[in-house]
Amino acid sequence: MFNLIENEVLKMISKKRLMFVLAILVVLISVFAYGQNHTAERTKAQLAQRMGISATADWRKLADQQLIDMKNRLDSPYRDEKDKSSLRVRIEQLQYNLDNNINPLEQSAAKFTTKFMEQSIFLFLPLLIIMLAADMVSGESSSGTIKLLLVRNVPRWKILLSKYLTLMILEIVVLFFAFVLSVIISGLFFGLGGWLAPVATGFKLVAGKLDTSAVLNVPQWRYTLMVYSLAYFVAVVVGSISFMISILVKSTAASIGIIMSTVVAGNFISYFLSDWKITRYMFMVNLRLTDYLSGSFQPIEGMTMLFSITVLLGWAVASILVSFVYFIKQDILV
Amino acid sequence: MLKKSMWYSVLAIACAGFIVLASGFYQAIIVTTMLSPQPSSEAPMTQTTEDSTLSSKNPNSVQLLILGDSVAKGTGDENSKGFSGYLPEYFKNNTSKEIIVDNAGIDGLESIGLLEQLQSQRLDKLIADSDIILVSIGGNDIRSILSLNTLAKEDEFKVRLDNYQSSLKLTFKELRNTNPNSIIIFLGLYNPYEKATSLEDARLLTTWNYNTQQLVEEDGKAIFIPTHDLLKFNVGKYIAQDGLHPNSAGYQALSNRISKSVETILTGL
Amino acid sequence: MPQTAVLELTNLRKKIKGKEIVKGVNLTLYPSQIYGFLGPNGAGKTTTIRMIVGLIKPTEGSVRICGYSVAHDFVKALSNVGCIIESPDMYKYLTGMENLLQFAAMNKTISQQRIKDVVEMVGLQHRVNDKVSTYSLGMRQRLGIAQAIIAKPKLLILDEPTNGLDPAGITEFRNLIRKLAYEEGMTVFVSSHLLLEIQQMCDIVSIIKQGSVIKTATVQEIIQHDDKIEWQINDPEKAIALLRDHWQIEATQLKMNTISAEIGQHPLDKLNEFFIREGLGLTYCTAKQNTLEDLFLGLTEGDQIV
Repeated sequence: MFNLIENEVLKMISKKRLMFVLAILVVLISVFAYGQNHTAERTKAQLAQRMGISATADWRKLADQQLIDMKNRLDSPYRDEKDKSSLRVRIEQLQYNLDNNINPLEQSAAKFTTKFMEQSIFLFLPLLIIMLAADMVSGESSSGTIKLLLVRNVPRWKILLSKYLTLMILEIVVLFFAFVLSVIISGLFFGLGGWLAPVATGFKLVAGKLDTSAVLNVPQWRYTLMVYSLAYFVAVVVGSISFMISILVKSTAASIGIIMSTVVAGNFISYFLSDWKITRYMFMVNLRLTDYLSGSFQPIEGMTMLFSITVLLGWAVASILVSFVYFIKQDILV
Repeated sequence: MLKKSMWYSVLAIACAGFIVLASGFYQAIIVTTMLSPQPSSEAPMTQTTEDSTLSSKNPNSVQLLILGDSVAKGTGDENSKGFSGYLPEYFKNNTSKEIIVDNAGIDGLESIGLLEQLQSQRLDKLIADSDIILVSIGGNDIRSILSLNTLAKEDEFKVRLDNYQSSLKLTFKELRNTNPNSIIIFLGLYNPYEKATSLEDARLLTTWNYNTQQLVEEDGKAIFIPTHDLLKFNVGKYIAQDGLHPNSAGYQALSNRISKSVETILTGL
Repeated sequence: MPQTAVLELTNLRKKIKGKEIVKGVNLTLYPSQIYGFLGPNGAGKTTTIRMIVGLIKPTEGSVRICGYSVAHDFVKALSNVGCIIESPDMYKYLTGMENLLQFAAMNKTISQQRIKDVVEMVGLQHRVNDKVSTYSLGMRQRLGIAQAIIAKPKLLILDEPTNGLDPAGITEFRNLIRKLAYEEGMTVFVSSHLLLEIQQMCDIVSIIKQGSVIKTATVQEIIQHDDKIEWQINDPEKAIALLRDHWQIEATQLKMNTISAEIGQHPLDKLNEFFIREGLGLTYCTAKQNTLEDLFLGLTEGDQIV
């Protein structure tokens, strides 16, 4: 089994597809980091223009003021307990900024790295994974090499399992490089720090509304870790589905086309068919797992972290089952 | 052999990565699904004690209730006083009675939020007991459209204004249901971004204030207090460091103007 | 001598989309022979071969390789097989050596030495570290054979192996196959629609037509049995009559002065003497060796290839 996985990884490395994916990452991260840098400077300039002062220099005064303000508000009897916990979280964050002299308007490598993955998880990351996964079986079918693989004294399920495990390994590699590259590239623009800053998380949906009563601060590095873990989960799910398509459809181009259009369609399907409840059982609608962490999701009745993970897991398991059954039974006619 | 070493590094990354990511995944699930640290039963408990301590109206006092957004709250005042602090000081000139202030302002509140706050009936007792109600709302309704382009802005403005007016009507209805007699002082909007504002934006703000004033005046016992005129040329003097809220001087100037408008009423109370 | 069959096909059938492609093939292969599998395109050769190596599951019947059933003992059965199915598709983005290492990694019994030996055997030692995408078809074919024999299989299956090879390549290829069969002791099973190729390469040939094997015999046997003689003589009618009366040989007139007949066990010199004695004016005589082509056309006469 180990040998088989080594074979598959070596093929992937030689095929240059992995390098291609990494190259795309480098280009996009550079563009985004530059863009972020630009935006940050423009925001500062705008603020300065509006207030007639330099926002960056005076952020401490501003933060001090906000802090006092929020502390007062915390004592107000006319507030929900729910609001209070989010206030507490906000106060902690401001206090941290003040204590460590970090301007909240400034970007950091840690913030960028997290933001990048949060923004990639529902479209860009799946596309990268699809590029890897959709080729794994159909590539061998279209080049005819599948025949060479399947006439060895190795059962078919082992061949397929080695391919699937290879895909899981490559998904980690892609995320690893996405992380390392964003840290390095954004580090050039914003500096490498920011890993200990507190980030708010723990939002929940209760009866279709955002419940902030359990909100708490976690250090940035932990938050980033959670974001990348969820991204990995999404990668595995999208990978499994593409893997299945790659087996069912013999041509690489067709399988990439099918799965890509599905994922892209998923990004506006919930917009057009929001009243249609069945859309929430589609995997594309459930890819934005990190939104549950940041609390920035559209509160839709019945959609929670556990729901989304269950739906995605269901898709992945079903895809793997279909893949194996079909692959073991099929006649190779290429 | 280059490929061989690449394979080993891939394997190492994958093994380490998998363990790390698995732990992160577990944490992510825990953090988004765990129960809230405070038991939810606490909230209603504080409310019941609140209810029991609320006394009925004291005839020897003037009760002022401040409702609305961050301006109502007093955000931006470096002395943390706001209307709650300054208004009683000015009111003292016209009445000998004790002045009791309650501030229920919430930062970032929009008109719909205020309506929900009222409909939750948590404030009913305070409203019923109050003689004067100061309302500042609308700034957050309109603020976010500033960043839109001119075409979209016009349309979006109309939508926002319509929504705002309908929730404002309901807000007045709520207030009057609970307390038909109190004086409602309604603050107009000012423009904190005076220096960076186009003529078009200025026109939108005027339209907003005009429509709001019409609506407020329909209520016989309500008064619309403009703020735009007072702040227009005094942004540097009256606006706080955050570039949005009034500062201490600003709150004082506004409080002064409000107290002048209700002098006679106060004497009569 | 009692030998275990290397390959045993029993009543092998395959239906694809309701159409029966292979209709009950029975075939037994014994060690160290080169078997030909001859048939026109679409006769079911490739389908049969794919069933042998487990790429396609038979609708009915069984395949046993060295006694192991492909359906039930896939791993053991396939341990004894090396094959090229149709074109030798290799990973073009890998070098020849990397390709071989891929397949070697799938079978623990293959040593580094064996890989080296195989590369030398197929004559690729100079190009084995180049990418396959730079190979000519002939080199790819050699690499294909290398991967097929790398695990020292008892049975080597080659599906249309000479497709696209030039004449020099074919000769080289034929020598290689002979070497593998007679020196390495492999049983080679070559399918082809090219009759000459089978005739030159194989010991035993099975002819398949429309999904059924219609004849299996040694190439020698077929050729000897079907020896044909042509005579150029002055009086063909008389000659035909004489042959029938004196020798019981049925002759046919081919051209103006030419007759042809299968003479079987009759000695040719006696026949020629007879013609001269009878004064038929024999000017030219040739023993025309029958090719599989004739045989094949004879066997499939009147049938359309479907």
